[in-house]
Formats: sequence, structure tokens, C-alpha cells
Amino acid sequence: MAAAKPDSNFSPEIVALYCRQCLDAEERPQEGARPAKGFNARLVMLPCSGKVEAYQMLRILEQGADGVLLVGCPENACRFLVGSRRAEKRLTHAGQLLDLVNMGAGRLALKRAADLTTADILALAGQLAERVKTLGPNPMKGDSL
Amino acid sequence: MIVAEWKPIPELLASLKGHKNVLLVGCATCVAECAAGGEREVLTLAPVLKMGLKDQGQEVNIITRTLERQCEPEFVEELAEIAPQVDAIMSLACGIGMQLVAERFIDLPLYPGVNTTSLAIREQPGLWTARCAACGDCMLGETFGLCPVARCAKSLMNGPCGGTRKDGKCEVDENTECIWRLIVERAEAKGRLEDLVKVRPSKNWSNSGHGGPKRMLREDLR
Amino acid sequence: MKTPVQTKLQQAIAAGRFALTLEIGPPQSPNPEPLRKKAEIIKGLADGYNVTDNQTAVVRMSSIAASKIILEMGLEPVMQMVCRDRNRIAMQSDLLGASALGLKNVLALSGDHQKASAAGKLKGHPGAKNVYDIDSIQLIATIKGLRDEAKQEGGDAIAEPAPFFIGAAWTPLGTPRNFRVLRLAKKIAAGADFIQTQAVYDVPAFAAQVAKARDMGLTDKAAILAGIIVPRSAGMLSYMDRQVPGVEVPAELIARMKQAKDAKAEGIKVTVELIQAVRAIPGVKGVHLQAIEAEELLPEIVKAAGLSPQDR
Repeated sequence: MAAAKPDSNFSPEIVALYCRQCLDAEERPQEGARPAKGFNARLVMLPCSGKVEAYQMLRILEQGADGVLLVGCPENACRFLVGSRRAEKRLTHAGQLLDLVNMGAGRLALKRAADLTTADILALAGQLAERVKTLGPNPMKGDSL
Repeated sequence: MIVAEWKPIPELLASLKGHKNVLLVGCATCVAECAAGGEREVLTLAPVLKMGLKDQGQEVNIITRTLERQCEPEFVEELAEIAPQVDAIMSLACGIGMQLVAERFIDLPLYPGVNTTSLAIREQPGLWTARCAACGDCMLGETFGLCPVARCAKSLMNGPCGGTRKDGKCEVDENTECIWRLIVERAEAKGRLEDLVKVRPSKNWSNSGHGGPKRMLREDLR
Repeated sequence: MKTPVQTKLQQAIAAGRFALTLEIGPPQSPNPEPLRKKAEIIKGLADGYNVTDNQTAVVRMSSIAASKIILEMGLEPVMQMVCRDRNRIAMQSDLLGASALGLKNVLALSGDHQKASAAGKLKGHPGAKNVYDIDSIQLIATIKGLRDEAKQEGGDAIAEPAPFFIGAAWTPLGTPRNFRVLRLAKKIAAGADFIQTQAVYDVPAFAAQVAKARDMGLTDKAAILAGIIVPRSAGMLSYMDRQVPGVEVPAELIARMKQAKDAKAEGIKVTVELIQAVRAIPGVKGVHLQAIEAEELLPEIVKAAGLSPQDR
């Protein structure tokens, strides 16, 4: 990964973990790196947002990403009933741990939505990228194993 | 199960000060059941420690392992290969497992990652409550299967103190049942309230830690 | 074998006089003067004066030392002893020491848990390790062993018996209500000679529990002293009703205190009425009267309630 640039004047790297059930029926699932205006996104598709564990979000940040976006279904529309609620609890837990080590819970975000296109997901990632810019680059950047 | 909980993160970070290669080792038995030291918690804590130490200007490499049971020498032996690569071990096992690891790898500093707190049950998802105090003199037969040694804040033997709240909870914690209230209710339901009237004499604590460290010897098994 | 014990409290009860005990909390200080000042105010009023043992788990001058100090002033102490801080070895040792100092009334209690220190007003010692080697009923039995068998709990003999008049607490309206009379029975079976109760405001409910005790013959075996705490405001009563386990305050009483123009005077009036009401309950042999942080009211209340020594 690129070396950290000075505060806010950098291109945040956002890893977007999205539930495949959130996609519009017509949309073809996409994964991998997606450069966007002012930030870089990496898309990872999940069978359900409830599949994600706190340690996975933490590890992504430990390895240098500037933010983790989790996209799940609306609370009452989860195909697995409690998946997106579980995701929220785990994200909250991970955020509390991030606060304890001065990384900032703000590097994590959960968005709930349905019928998304890839462009919609990138737009959500862009919102997180803007917030992450205020936190500065991930201090772990460049340290990945 | 034996229940433990993470030590505060700042305490963990302070203990690893100056170390470069740390083995973070969990246990897949009790502490996994209580979500303190299983594989998931090992994987969660490792990046947290790395980020926290980085924040304090310290680079550390953390190797993670989770043993089937940290309280059995055979499983602890699995660490022998990695031990030479690290300069410290942090264990997320209960105090029993930790001591076995410390003894096996006597040259490495061993830091506790958790505080072992109790012998408890998972009462609900995310809620563990004490059940046993390992007192060495079980009285469950007299108390309708509910333990006042572990579950009464004062370990009373002869009924509830005056501190039972109106709603039947303990005066020490509004979320904890007064165990004597439950014992009395069970006795009543069985029509055996009279069983609780006999004065229970002072307890013999000598078969627990109060009699010196416990040593149980079974010649037939040696 | 029952070792004879003579204390003013025991004699009052034996003579069928309506007994009165008051309470003195030792200071958070090594200086005995505040204790002596409090004692001076209430001296001569009662048969016994409870000296608390680190109540609410806050460190205070020891009950044993404070008891001795007021004994020297001519007040007869009821030394309280809780199971929270000492094991059976320390408690028996202190009992022998107390006896050597001339202390004869002892009240055995579980004790407030250290986590509930002073209801949060003081720091206390919530990180302390509690003991609870024996519970209050086992302590009663232990004291009885020292007195009637000249025997320690562990079985060893003591050279001569320690004459104690043994007291216990009772929360008649506590939860679970059905067990409370049975717990009283256990305390009496273990050796309690007198009983001091949690504060009584709901007289009919209290009377019903005493009636059950009477039916079991308990009121003949031990003297029940009803606990009365002088109400000072409607707020205090409603707090006690909500927050103090085992205390039930009728809504009418709270309303009455609320409507009173002079809450202090009304509180005294209520106290006098409560004393008269519990005195009329067969089996009640006295009152344990407390005026928390208002000891100066006690002489007036005792007089108004007809409990002055010459009136009893």
C-alpha cells in the first residue's frame, strides 16, 4: 500500500463488505478493487451481513485500510431474520475496541439498504471516505504483513 | 464452565511494553464458551493489541494460536515449535491453563490476557451467571439444587438476610436474584418449607482453598 | 446448662417492663469525644444502647471499643457484631475480649455488604474481600456455645463461660414473607434471647407476623423489640418504602407527613403513636428506637411516648 500522506489530503481506502441480498435483482454482483473519485474501494460480497465477525473488520483495519463499510439489509428485511441486527452488534463491539486504541469507531460504518446497484454501494463508500478523511490516514498503513 | 473476561485493554497494552514478538494463545474449552479466550477472541484481540501498541509507538508482531485445552500438557506441547520465535506469551485461558503454559515455557514471560472470575453457566446469550464456588462441601441437597455459597452475596447458610428487595432481587445487585428467595420458593412448591427450618451449623471450609492448596490424590488411578 | 446473665436489658425484659433500646453509631474518627457527646444526650433513657459495627460497610471506630467507652459513662451497650469482616476465630476472640471488658449484650448480624457502602454517599471499600465464614445464625449458636457450654465453635473448651445476652435482628416484612417467621424461629433455636426488628411503619402487617411467631411459641422464648425509626419527612418515608428492603410504609402515613405543616413535630407524633401501637401487640416486649442523625429528639420522644425510666 502507498505510504501515508498528510491528513485529509489522501485517498482513503475503503473496504465495502456488502450483503448480496441488498443488491437489485438486475444487478450483477461485483467484487474487487474499484477506484473512485477521491477514494479507493474494495468490494467484498457476503451471503449475509450477519456473517461478518468483529475480528474481520478489525483485521482489515489492522492491515491498513482506512475504513470498513458494512452494507446490510433493512432491519426487518433480513433474509436470515437477524443477520443485519447481529452485524450491527458486532460492528458496535469492534467500534468500542477501536476507540480504546485511538483508531476511532468512525472508521466503521453500517448502512442498511435494499435494491442497490454497485454505483450505490460506491456512493455509500464515498460517504464513509469523506468521514474517514477527518480522521486522517490509518496509522497502520504500510505495516501490513 | 470456568468463566473469564478480558483484562482492560490499557492493562494488556502496558504488559506488552517492549516486546516485539508475542504469542497470543487461546483455549477452545471453557473460555471459548464464555467468549473470552477462544479462537474468535484471539483473532479479535490480536489486531486490537497491534493497533493499540502502534498508537503508543511500538511495533509488535503477534502470532495467534488456540489450543484445544490449555490445561492439558499434551495440547500445550503444540506451542513448542513457535515458542522460540517469540519473546513473550499472552494467554487468554483461565488461570489453570495459563499456569501450565508458564511452567512449560519457563524462560518466556507469561502475561494474563483475562481475569478468571467464576464457575458459571451461560444463562442467556451474552449473559453468564455464577453457579458454583468450589467450596468443597456441597450443600445443594439441602437447598433444593440452588447454591447459596456461590449465589448469595454473603454466602449465607440459613436463609435470606434482611436485604432481599421487594421484587425478590439481591440488595447488592438489582439484576441478581436473591438465591434464598428462590430456594424458599422451590421448597414451598414442593411443600417442604420445613426442611429449611433446621439450623445449618458452621461450614467446614477446609476442603476448599481455605484448607491450603487443594491436592486430590487417588491411589487407584496412579 | 444455661449460664446466668445479668444485664439491664435482660433484667428489664425478665421483670416484664417494656424495654427500650437506642442506637449510637461510632465516629469515623479515633477521637472518642463525638461518641461521648452523643451518649451524653441519650444517657439514662434506655435499657441498652446498640453500638453499630461498621454499618453500611464504612470504617468507624470498632464496636467493641465504642461499647467500652459508653459503658464507662454508665450506658449499657448492645455490642453489634457482623459476619462480614471477621472469621469465627477473630469473632470469638473479640467476644472473649468484649466479655473481659464487661460487655454483655451482643447483637449478631449478617452485616451490610461492602459493595453497598453507605448507599453510594461515601467511597467505602467496595474492593474489600468479605469473610462470611459463618452467618448470623451460626454466630448466635457460637455465642451460645461460649456462654452455655464454655466451648468454642471448634470444640475446644474455654476456661469459664462468657456471659452474653444474645440478640438477633428480624425483618418481619421482608421478602419472601412466608419464610421470615421461620427465619426468626431459626435464630431463636440457635440461641437468640432478644430480637430487634427492622423499622415498623405498617403496624397491622407487623402484628400479623408477630401473631404467627406467637402461635409458634417464639414470643415466649425470646423478647421481640419492635424497630421504630423516627420519620422526619414524607420524602424519607417514601425513600424507605421504595429503597430499604423489608420496610413497608403505608401510603396514608406518607401523605400525612406530606400534609404536616411542621414535619419534625408530626414525625415525633407519628413515632409516639407507632410506639403505642406496637406496645399493644401481644408478644412485643419493647422497642428499638432510632432517630437517625437527630439523636437530640430522643429525650423528648421517649418522654412523650411514656417510655421514661420512671414510666416503664
